[in-house]
Amino acid sequence: MQFSPRPTLQVHVAQTGECYACAGDESLLRGMLRLGRRGIPVGCVNGGCGVCKVRIVEGSVRALGPVSRAHVSADEEAQGYTLACRVAPTAAVRLEVAGRLVKPFSGASAIPARAHPPTTQPKET
Amino acid sequence: MGVLRIGHASLKVMDMAAAVQHYEKVLGLKTTMQDKAGNVYLKCWDEWDKYSLVLTPSDQAGLNHIAYKVEKDADLDALRERIEAWGVKTEMLPEGSLPATGRMLQFRLPSGHEMRLYAMKEFVGTEVGSTNPDPWPDGLKGAGAHWLDHALLMCELNPETGVNTVADNTRFMTEALDFFLTEQVLVGPNGDMQAATWMARTTTPHDIAFVGGPRSGLHHIAYFLDSWHDVLKAADVMAKNKVRIDVAPTRHGITRGETIYFFDPSGNRNETFAGLGYLAQRDRPVTTWTEDMLGSGIFYHTGDLVPSFTEVYT
Repeated sequence: MQFSPRPTLQVHVAQTGECYACAGDESLLRGMLRLGRRGIPVGCVNGGCGVCKVRIVEGSVRALGPVSRAHVSADEEAQGYTLACRVAPTAAVRLEVAGRLVKPFSGASAIPARAHPPTTQPKET
Repeated sequence: MGVLRIGHASLKVMDMAAAVQHYEKVLGLKTTMQDKAGNVYLKCWDEWDKYSLVLTPSDQAGLNHIAYKVEKDADLDALRERIEAWGVKTEMLPEGSLPATGRMLQFRLPSGHEMRLYAMKEFVGTEVGSTNPDPWPDGLKGAGAHWLDHALLMCELNPETGVNTVADNTRFMTEALDFFLTEQVLVGPNGDMQAATWMARTTTPHDIAFVGGPRSGLHHIAYFLDSWHDVLKAADVMAKNKVRIDVAPTRHGITRGETIYFFDPSGNRNETFAGLGYLAQRDRPVTTWTEDMLGSGIFYHTGDLVPSFTEVYT
């Protein structure tokens, strides 16, 4: 991994300060998962569930595939919102995590709600 | 009389070519039909009706409707009366509303999910036929799933406002459609809030399941495999095809099923599911899982709650 010949671009997650190198031909989320890093919540990784919703604050990205309109409206898209699993960086990126995971059974339950939603277990790919 | 089994699921997909490739190459379904609107119909090798999956082009993922087959056409009229009497509005869609399918009784579950009942779908036969059949056909692709087994629907549950559509759905399915409860999760300060239920019409531990969440949606549709080894091989197929696996092969405490959760190319969760668990019967005592053991109920080996189980769905 350290000697990957692929050119990479820095991705910075505003809330957590997490910073990682993402290749220009992989999604922001895949890049994070490949390195076993955290910061962006991980869901279906296929553009449908909306869990990895982010706002691109600085830098630029290109689309890799369709993003569910149920989670990113056309207006939001114009404001820089997208799903991290569906865009690849074309320049260094600074992003904010926008997805909100709502705990089920909360309020009636002994299941502790975590302030910062954990991701699913990252896997090396 | 009444409901026989799950008949089909209709799913929204955002990239039709990728979706068809996934369900054919990874799960082993075959395309049997396409219509003018661009919908694609598929079936598994061991199913005898024309299709069990409808893929519809969309700008989002999720469930359009879930359909169950009833035994006789007259059941549709009888069930319509019972559903209406329960307080749910229905519509009878004429024959041909879906190709190769008879009239369909359409209604919404208390959770908002669209359900349809039908009695007739074109018979095409299994791939091994009905006379002196081989146990499996040649040329199976991928996991070679036998049949669509069940669906799990996420149902709005908000204790603060008193909304519990898991409990509402469970009562509806019991009273209007004669399903029976096999397992349940009870939570809350008094341990009396039905947060998840598994229900059957056949003899398998579930033909449908409901789990509480912040909003209603599709958790997964599940395909049946014979054995634990087939589950392992299915995971190999997924890795080969770079399918996003949510939960690698393991066992559910609930239903005793051997399982993999993974996502189709639009993010709809699929499951490959093996093991008949136990013989589900109306007089079998209902299995209850308590809140402190919920993790073991869902994934038996680790006993850990996996956040994606209740938080990630379409």
